[in-house]
Amino acid sequence: MPVLLADFPYLTVSILSPLVALIVIMLLPEEQKKTIKLVGVASAVVSLAVCLYLYWAYDRTVGGIQFAERMDWIPGLGIKYFVGVDGINAPLLLLNGIVYLTGCLTMWELELRVKEYFAWIAALVAGVFGVYASFDLFFFFMFYEIGLLPMYLLIAIWGSTRKEYAAMKLTLYLLAGSTLIFPGLLALYTYSPIKTFDWLILSQQHFTLEQQKLIFGLLYFGFGVLAAIWPFHTWSPVGHVAAPTSTSMLHAGVLMKLGAFGILRIAMQLAPQGLVYWAPTMALLATIGIVYGALAGLAQTDLKYIIGYSSVSHMGVVCLGLSTLTVDGINGAVFQMFAHGIMTALFFSAVGYIYDRTHTREIYDLGGFSKIMPVASAFFIIAALCGLGCPGFASFWAELLVFVAAFQVYPVKGVLAVCALVIATLFALRVIMRTFYVAPNPKFTGPGFADVGLFLASPRIILVGTLIIFGLFPRLMVDVIQTAVEPFVRTLV
Amino acid sequence: MNATVFLPELAVMAMALLMFVVSMAKPNAQRDFTLAVVLGAVVVAAGVASLRSEGLLFFGTYRIDIFSQVFKIALGVGLLLAISVCLDFKGVDENLHGEYYTFMATGTLGLMMLVSSMELLTMYVALELSSYSLYVMLPMRRGFAHDAEASIKYVLFGAVSSCIMVFGLSFIYGLTHTTMLSEIMPQIPVLASQPLGLAAILMTICGFFFKLTVFPFHAWAPDVYQGAANETATFIATAPKVGAVALLLRLVTLAGVDGVGLVKVLIILSVASMTFGNLVAIVQKDLKRMLAYSSIAHAGYVIIGVLTLSELGYMSSIYYIFGYLLMNFAVFMVVVKVSQDGGNVSIEQLAGLYKRAPLLALTLMLSLFALAGIPPSVGFVGKWMLFTAALEKGYLWLVIIAAANSTVSLYYYLCVVRAAYCMSPGDLPAVKIDMPTRVMSYVMIAAIVGVGVVPAPLIEMARSAARTLL
Repeated sequence: MPVLLADFPYLTVSILSPLVALIVIMLLPEEQKKTIKLVGVASAVVSLAVCLYLYWAYDRTVGGIQFAERMDWIPGLGIKYFVGVDGINAPLLLLNGIVYLTGCLTMWELELRVKEYFAWIAALVAGVFGVYASFDLFFFFMFYEIGLLPMYLLIAIWGSTRKEYAAMKLTLYLLAGSTLIFPGLLALYTYSPIKTFDWLILSQQHFTLEQQKLIFGLLYFGFGVLAAIWPFHTWSPVGHVAAPTSTSMLHAGVLMKLGAFGILRIAMQLAPQGLVYWAPTMALLATIGIVYGALAGLAQTDLKYIIGYSSVSHMGVVCLGLSTLTVDGINGAVFQMFAHGIMTALFFSAVGYIYDRTHTREIYDLGGFSKIMPVASAFFIIAALCGLGCPGFASFWAELLVFVAAFQVYPVKGVLAVCALVIATLFALRVIMRTFYVAPNPKFTGPGFADVGLFLASPRIILVGTLIIFGLFPRLMVDVIQTAVEPFVRTLV
Repeated sequence: MNATVFLPELAVMAMALLMFVVSMAKPNAQRDFTLAVVLGAVVVAAGVASLRSEGLLFFGTYRIDIFSQVFKIALGVGLLLAISVCLDFKGVDENLHGEYYTFMATGTLGLMMLVSSMELLTMYVALELSSYSLYVMLPMRRGFAHDAEASIKYVLFGAVSSCIMVFGLSFIYGLTHTTMLSEIMPQIPVLASQPLGLAAILMTICGFFFKLTVFPFHAWAPDVYQGAANETATFIATAPKVGAVALLLRLVTLAGVDGVGLVKVLIILSVASMTFGNLVAIVQKDLKRMLAYSSIAHAGYVIIGVLTLSELGYMSSIYYIFGYLLMNFAVFMVVVKVSQDGGNVSIEQLAGLYKRAPLLALTLMLSLFALAGIPPSVGFVGKWMLFTAALEKGYLWLVIIAAANSTVSLYYYLCVVRAAYCMSPGDLPAVKIDMPTRVMSYVMIAAIVGVGVVPAPLIEMARSAARTLL
């Protein structure tokens, strides 16, 4: 696999940008709320600009790991600082940059403990950038935990429904997943003849089938907790509901993808024979997750719960794609990670605007919002349609690729997955009707419920724009992903 | 012979004598504190100056090598840190300050001599020197009558552990006809294979399990931590553990490369300590009590590195216990500063610390997360190394149990962080912190995070220390 070193440490800049923002924010006093928010947005712009550049400048004809930075960190333990861009993490880095920026803009109206909020978000985002960029297992895990832990305080302090319970459950559950990941990663080091944590070197080592089955099992279930694989998903809807808006955006949009990314990058690419052994189980649990998420979503009446369960369902689509072991399936899975991330960020952003004003998310209390706030409603409806796989948006292509591959490899599960789409349509349309189209609740007609202005709408517009661009020009995304997936699938055959 | 060879011990002895003389003068907290800090710094400097010394003193009973000198620096640092929290010394009456610092110095002297001991009786005498110093420091707390239980428990448990240890030492002597470790080493294969030999080694190690609070020698810890003055608890929670780990490592090498029996026992003790410590810590309401149970759990983690009998394992244990010194000290520093008039601090009394003292809250949070093994901290790198060493030797289930225990421990640490960050202060008073405390907080944060992000120097130092053992 070609490794092209970077002439300028772009990735380190994109990881450090939120960390620098963190330090600057810690030094500012709480009273200067506007400045703090501006610092956050500025660092998001820097990171996003870098990620956009990397995505655009990634050479599709060469493939491999580009813009790599590799230096010894703890030589005695075989630990290197090794970051790079390849076809799989380029879209995800871009996703993180977009959701960070739109998240900061969405929280523009925050008044409570602004300094600590933006500081924690910066730490979280830095961790996520680090995970996506890392090609060394030590740094991968280190950034992974850095990205997970801020969730506790973000939810416990600024959250809403049952925030303390949700924060503790989410944190403990996700760190219980780490309990399985940790030995899995160390097992790779232990069983490898060359003692290193370098991903590239490990990908060329040979592990026995028994070792691979064990490693893949540990890593799949460990990362699977974060990827909301049924039955380890119960922390997810509760966490989504309780979290404040931009935390939910980052959480569902970016953090859950970390789990699937971990499965792909580490478990699948380092233990491919283990993957072949576990693939049917993966497909089964993924399909159950898709159907279960859709059915559970049908029973919900709280907007965020509905989005939460639909996230579980969509992450099931990602895992189903990964388990097909075909180029289309894995392409679709990574595309779905990106598309669902943007879509769910849009969902939460739209709900956040409405909730901030009405202080309720019950669909039976809300009503007729398309008359009260047409533009804000439009954002939510677009997201809902996107979630159904409506053509013209990025999710259509992602789900199409996954379902086509699933039909070929697991016909029954593929059919079930598509049926779940119908159920998803049912609850999405019901939500839209109840929240936006029946007679307006008189409580909410009045001056306090103005429609969203241009500035506050900007994050949502960015998200919608992204969905449309990649919906109309899917090759922009698939071409990049393919450069990494094709060589990998060839090694599986 | 190089003059620096005995320098740290001489520095600590000088400190003990000077503080003893000062203690006979009129009590003056400010003067005693300043003198103690200066002398503590001298001790650390002496340790650093003698880092590269080598030698065999006192008829071969006392060895100076990188291993011992590295630990002496750590002990010096522990001493200095424990003195530094005595700035506004609320826990002990002013006319006992001189005596307090004296015994701190003699305790550190005992620990320093312990890490260099190469002969069984020297080891025992050094251990007793450090133990007695701590026994005496405990009842010095203001309002002694109320906390007598802690002091008596400490003495009794310590005495029993020392008895068992001496009993074990006597068996070793009986089997090998010598008390010099250098002469016992060649006889190890024979020694460890006999049941009596194994029992002897185990009994000897018991003395150190007591100091390290390994299950089942842990029972004194919660009451002693709770009953001690906050400043005393700071010292007890940090320095003796470092000394105990040093001797434990030296003694375990007595078991030879494949001491299967000993390893089995250590695995059981490690799992028991981790599990017991973590589970019981969950229900604690008093902060120091919770920290005592957490120290039982951390003893379990350290033993994982010891039982691997490999260079990586010993290195990990050394790195971990140094990191533990820093992390634990940071938490106790917060306890000392938050407490009203030197009383105990319950977790509820930390409520709203983010408003009352933001810097202390940050220090508390970072050090608790470091204890839980969350990156980027020294605790994370330590756990990474320990688990790698264990997995290298094939102990998969031990690693899974330890990782699960880390997650469990996160729960009770999060409860404290929750109190500090999520609860409102109510009518709890603001906490005023002075400039030295502010500086110490920044230093501790920088140390805990810095050593976690750039661990290579400390790891290499731990490696060279571990190499001299093997």
